[in-house]
Amino acid sequence: MGAIDRLQQIGNQISGGATPKGRAKLLEKNPDDIVVTCALRTAITKGGKGAFKDTFASDLLAGALKGILERSKIKPELVEDIVVGTVLAPGGGATEMRAASLVAGFPVTTAVRTLNRQCSSGLQACVDVANAIRSGMIEIGIGAGVESMSTQYGPGAVSEFSELLESHPEAANCKVPMGVLSEQMAKDRNITRAQQDAFAAASFQKAVAAQKAGLFKEEIYPIKAKYTDPKTGETKEVLVDKDDGIREGVTVESLAKIRPAFAKDGTIHAGNASQVSDGAAAVLLMKRSTAEKLGQPILGKFVAASIVGVPPLLMGIGPWKAIPKVFELTGITKDDVDIFEINEAFASQCLWCANELGIPAEKINPKGGAIAFGHPLGCTGARQVSTLLYELRRRGQKIGVTSMCIGTGMGMAAVWVAE
Amino acid sequence: MASAMLEFRTPGYNPYAVKYSPYYDSRIAVSAAANYGIVGNGRLFILGLGPAGIQLEKGYDTNDALYDLAWSEINENQLVVASGDGSVKLYDLVTSGDFPVMNFVEHKREAFSWSPSRPTSIKTFPVGTCTYSACFSPHNPNLISCVSSDSNIRIYDLRSPVSAKYHLTTVIPAHAPPVTPVGVLAALANGQTYAGAVPSEILTHDWNKYRDTVVAAAGVDRLVRTFDIRNPTGGPLSILMGHEYAVRRLAWSPHASDVLASASYDMTVRVWSDGSAAMPPAPSQPPVIQLGQQLGLMNRHAEFVTGVDWCLFGSGGWLASAGWDQRVLVFDAHTLLPPVL
Repeated sequence: MGAIDRLQQIGNQISGGATPKGRAKLLEKNPDDIVVTCALRTAITKGGKGAFKDTFASDLLAGALKGILERSKIKPELVEDIVVGTVLAPGGGATEMRAASLVAGFPVTTAVRTLNRQCSSGLQACVDVANAIRSGMIEIGIGAGVESMSTQYGPGAVSEFSELLESHPEAANCKVPMGVLSEQMAKDRNITRAQQDAFAAASFQKAVAAQKAGLFKEEIYPIKAKYTDPKTGETKEVLVDKDDGIREGVTVESLAKIRPAFAKDGTIHAGNASQVSDGAAAVLLMKRSTAEKLGQPILGKFVAASIVGVPPLLMGIGPWKAIPKVFELTGITKDDVDIFEINEAFASQCLWCANELGIPAEKINPKGGAIAFGHPLGCTGARQVSTLLYELRRRGQKIGVTSMCIGTGMGMAAVWVAE
Repeated sequence: MASAMLEFRTPGYNPYAVKYSPYYDSRIAVSAAANYGIVGNGRLFILGLGPAGIQLEKGYDTNDALYDLAWSEINENQLVVASGDGSVKLYDLVTSGDFPVMNFVEHKREAFSWSPSRPTSIKTFPVGTCTYSACFSPHNPNLISCVSSDSNIRIYDLRSPVSAKYHLTTVIPAHAPPVTPVGVLAALANGQTYAGAVPSEILTHDWNKYRDTVVAAAGVDRLVRTFDIRNPTGGPLSILMGHEYAVRRLAWSPHASDVLASASYDMTVRVWSDGSAAMPPAPSQPPVIQLGQQLGLMNRHAEFVTGVDWCLFGSGGWLASAGWDQRVLVFDAHTLLPPVL
């Protein structure tokens, strides 16, 4: 408990006011809150086929960062650090992401680093920046995420396991492919194909409706990309301003026809798992006092985040463990939360977590999720922030949670408040 | 008030608690915190009363604020302090250098209160809300009580079977009105009806030293209430009205069964009789809640008073108080009484 909490406690003892708890406490506005003043993403496009198939991850990031500068109108030199979550880039992408920041218009004085906590990298980047601000290390920072699965996804993404690792059963489980272990988990936890398909179809239908209603407009920053037509071989520049993985007319019946991908008698297929995609997202963070001083509009605030470990073979249950932990940290319950953005790595695990936590379907991913528009690994955690905050604001709601499972058996969750 | 008063200053530190040694009538310990306990270090003062006034015998510095302390009842040289980092530290005045002899780190945030020292954490009781003060019963080593921000007094009996409730045997809702037959309202001794109060945080409580079922509790709503733990829904036995801000500390007199002292954010220490001398031997129906009588008021502190304690020795009536004005005051409660005509 920090000084502000101690002060407030004594203040309430004198005034006789009750110490605000749970939701009321979250909705308070304090000068040391870590707030989001700009959050956006590029469109997310299909891996290998979509408009970004020929675009490097660094270029996607440069586009998103440019978007932050353009929309927030913040002076680039005020941003002290940029943290980029990226999973597949060789060498962690350290060199090219630093270069991308310079292209985007940041001066050499703005530091850049990358990080990799697999599917939660984008969220981890935001949390790291928030913590650096909270501790006073920096005043203004950007948490970002990017992935070009078109150019960097493949067998090379995981290095060989040593004999030592192979000799330890739980350690060896860390490299079981996620599709295979999710199939097993679906079987163990009795999540039927029909349930998964229904969840997946709903994701598509929600995303189609949201796209038609223009609900992604605020969060997507259109960028130009060079695209080579596979038929004609002709390369042209296109403006990419919408997610191209969202398909109309997907129903439980149409999904029922798709063949399982990982086992003959399996339940998981291309239609009820997240899409392989490309995209980038970025979130501008600072203290409320800083935002007010600079006249930055406040979109929402970051409250707290949790990280947990689970058995590697049950990595899909990560949110089920991470969400209660973040509730404990923030003193709220599931009923206080208006929207949950839980990454749809697989319909099976997302559905299982939601059911176990007792989250009503209408509160989960109201604009669809990774099944409908894709899961560019490092990008997703940062992408969820804009998806969540704009939707909370549109509905006049306040509290949201973003969460995802993480390969090798982890889960992460964060609480955000829209303003 | 112009009576004799001993004074000790704690420059740079704002006291949060003061306790007389149960072994020596001349020894007092004070736990204190820099910057009003908001942020910064803590310091434990061991003070001696002598012909030259109050002298510092020892001081111990800590990395976080010290909010409370308790003397050992089995070793005259040992005491524990409760720290802002959640730790409970055991000091031995003979063998400790500058550091505690033991450090118990189990609390997750500010530790506020603890009564008498125990060698190890023997039991853990989850309360679930901010718990401001915890006490052993002076009559029965199996009874432990605590009060918390949810306005409940909880009593744990170690003799009860361990169940999902972790020995929790009694919960007294301190602000609820007494449960009475339909249509009957509890009344105060002055004839007004009593319908309870809005729940608010309870900051302090203490067991009566003579009547083993009586507990006094007080906090944010400025009133001191006494309760009989045998009748958790019966409402207060008595209500002591007078403090103008939250009551931070209560201490029953070791010498008289109806007398207690309170320290408050209103910068006063008050000495009360709970009116139990006038209580009927059998509870009446509808219950009549006694109104305590304020016997005296000490207003020499210039900031919040956070600690008050009675000396166990002598003819009785000596009090030590400590407050955010960086002062420890020692005085005879008799001097606060109105002159006898």
